Amino acid sequence: MRTITIAPKNAFRISVEAENISTDKFAPLTLSQINSLVVWQGNRQKTLSDLFTVEGDDAPATTEETTIKLIGDYSQVKRIGEGMTAGVVEVQGNVGMHAGNNMKGGLLSIAGNADDWLAREMRGGKVIVMGNAGNYLGGGYRGEKCGMRGGEIEVRGNAGAYLGEHLCGGSIRILGDAGDFPGAANQGGTIFIGGSTYLPGAEMSKGTITVKGEAKVLPSFLKTEIVQVDGLAFQKYTGDNVDNGKGELMVGVGSS
Amino acid sequence: MIIKGGIVYDPANGIYGDEMDLFIDKGRMVEAAKGEEIDARGLLVMPGGVDAHSHIAGKKVNTGRIMRPDDARIGTEPRTAVCRPSTGYTVPNCYAMGYRYARMGYTTAFEAATPILEARHTHEELEEIPIIDKGALTLFGNNWQVMECVRDKDLTKLAAYVAWGLRAAKGYGVKIVNPGGGEAWGFGGNVKSQNDIVPNFDVTPAEIIVGLAKANEMLNLPHSIHLHFNNLGKPGNYTTAIETLDLLKDLKPSRMRQVVHVAHMQFSAYGGTSWRDFESKAPAIADYFNCHNHATMDMGQLLFGSATTMTADAPLEYGNARLTHNKWSNHDIELEESSGVVPMVYNRKMLVNAVQWAIGLELALLVKDPWKVLMTTDHPNGSPFVNYPEVITLLMSKPKRDLEMATLHEQVPKRTTLAGMEREMDWTDIAIMTRAAPARVLGLEDKGHLGPGADGDVSIYDLRPEEVDTSLDHVLVKKALANAKYTIKGGVVVSKEGQILATPPGRTFWVDAAVPQADTDRLMVDLEEKFAKYYSIQIANYAVQDAYLPHAQIIRAGLPVLSEVA
Ligand SMILES: [Zn+2]
Repeated sequence: MRTITIAPKNAFRISVEAENISTDKFAPLTLSQINSLVVWQGNRQKTLSDLFTVEGDDAPATTEETTIKLIGDYSQVKRIGEGMTAGVVEVQGNVGMHAGNNMKGGLLSIAGNADDWLAREMRGGKVIVMGNAGNYLGGGYRGEKCGMRGGEIEVRGNAGAYLGEHLCGGSIRILGDAGDFPGAANQGGTIFIGGSTYLPGAEMSKGTITVKGEAKVLPSFLKTEIVQVDGLAFQKYTGDNVDNGKGELMVGVGSS
Repeated sequence: MIIKGGIVYDPANGIYGDEMDLFIDKGRMVEAAKGEEIDARGLLVMPGGVDAHSHIAGKKVNTGRIMRPDDARIGTEPRTAVCRPSTGYTVPNCYAMGYRYARMGYTTAFEAATPILEARHTHEELEEIPIIDKGALTLFGNNWQVMECVRDKDLTKLAAYVAWGLRAAKGYGVKIVNPGGGEAWGFGGNVKSQNDIVPNFDVTPAEIIVGLAKANEMLNLPHSIHLHFNNLGKPGNYTTAIETLDLLKDLKPSRMRQVVHVAHMQFSAYGGTSWRDFESKAPAIADYFNCHNHATMDMGQLLFGSATTMTADAPLEYGNARLTHNKWSNHDIELEESSGVVPMVYNRKMLVNAVQWAIGLELALLVKDPWKVLMTTDHPNGSPFVNYPEVITLLMSKPKRDLEMATLHEQVPKRTTLAGMEREMDWTDIAIMTRAAPARVLGLEDKGHLGPGADGDVSIYDLRPEEVDTSLDHVLVKKALANAKYTIKGGVVVSKEGQILATPPGRTFWVDAAVPQADTDRLMVDLEEKFAKYYSIQIANYAVQDAYLPHAQIIRAGLPVLSEVA
């Protein structure tokens, strides 16, 4: 196993685009080659070593065998782990926007909070956030018809608005509360929300959304039966009937 | 500038792969010149490419951009010392249009459909497209004034209106899209054949087409009418195409060119009664073109992958939106047109798409005379123009077509004749279909050839025509066509091996046709009433001001005897 540890040299006042911080990009390179990978800060092109210290094993390895540890504050660093197919990216603090976007495999674990667009359009692999996640978690970027298509996301804290927008597959699990409109235009993914939320599943055509806590349900959902899941009672709905949808929405009964 | 030792294809001047030196001075081809030398020894040299039908500027292109931020993400390129940033794939930003045409060796492209009312927007965008020369065709086929003149059989007033409209729009030629259907769409309807009565106007599409064709020839315009048929995109529409072409076969052209140019023929060469028994009627269409000389076409080739359909044929786009459940933009242009935009993905596993793909190629390969068929994808309706090298290599290589066919729905060989087609085009055919013919069809005398006085637009490719086997080495050919070794525009090297080196502004061609003042006077009575009653703007604010075309190139037309009168 090859481990590479990166730390910012300074706090960033201008955000950094760092899609090159990924196991796939690092794996075939030596440390000095990694040091000279391109990152952008604002409209200035820089190298990784201009902004970060890079330490670890020098010899290239396979992507599966590569682990990247990110130490310090990455809340102003975007696109970490973009498109990664295997290996591990371990963020010990907070992470900026678009982390793990279009990820296809491997593990992205975040000890702190994640900003907006985490794991958007993800295809596979796993993302774990110990803190909170921002808006559009696992969603599709502007104009895109499909958000996340596969893989797993777990957030131990709360998530922002529009989580799983245009979801086409995969599963998202939020242990805390979720913001407005989770699973909007869901086309086949699975969402579980441990806490409460507002107006889930708008325009959903397929897939399942389960809310353990309270949820305001849109009037375009049809109330069906009460079902038992793991000993808990849920009110089941189908919709969104605005779009002739066949999605399933379950909201906890008696938790309020 | 001297271009040394290239293998030159200049079919308009009877040069088919001769080794020769070319000379450019003050932006034009000349017999001899001094200066910078470009080593083209043994390499393929052709005139700069000319695209006679592409949607590159104006409101519907911009609507496509607004609807498709997902498309903007594809093809993003940061600015360089020379270039501004590029975005987009099917609907690139203005800068990218210029850079991408130039990289492929193209130096001219015409926007195919602009309503007069929205021409100002078109010219604002055309002006921002760097490098290439441009022009915009003006829509007349659903225009109230046109239909009234046709109904009243007042051909001189119609000609006066066409001249006035071209001047107001700073337009290049007469575009007709689903005549009558766009107007009917304002009331949720359409016309089902060229002989239907257009609601409220008591004219038929056939009468509109013939009337505009006559006016076009009366005005001696450089381009013929440019026609998008009724029933475009519908199974069984090939009869509409042939019957409509037959209306025009006895008309005399006023110049040495066709009487009608058919836009994106692929979309109008369909057999069957529904999408279920949908099949190619390309052989019947090609047969018609082989037996008649009054019409030309462009392919409108469809390629698999992402596209954005955009057309003044609004009812067609309503159908597309219903079919795909995709985003839909629908637009009414007052007394002139309607239009629509729908994003599209063409899938090689879908039988209908695969048959459409084959039809475009069948048309090009079955029409014997390459001067009658222009290579286009109806950008971005069939595919973005950056994929022209794919189309060219499909035309040049049977093995490549076979490779593609093997990945398609098994029914394709039964519903089209492409599988049995042995023809492989050569560089002369390609130079005609991408250079000489589009220039001749448009009536651009200084484009598409390399004779003395022609524009100094030359493309040089890293291909040795005397060595490369275009049938077997199609991968190599496609790569070389995607990035010309040199693209020279007006005597300036604008692109080298895919790098943009210079971004001179291109010119915009428009046609100023003279007509008798008395006809214009009669016309203005009608127009003033229309603007007072119906238009949302004043007539004084309608015409595109000269300031919007800082690089205008005006082509004079109209009856020669009338040039002093106007
Ligand atoms: Zn078109």
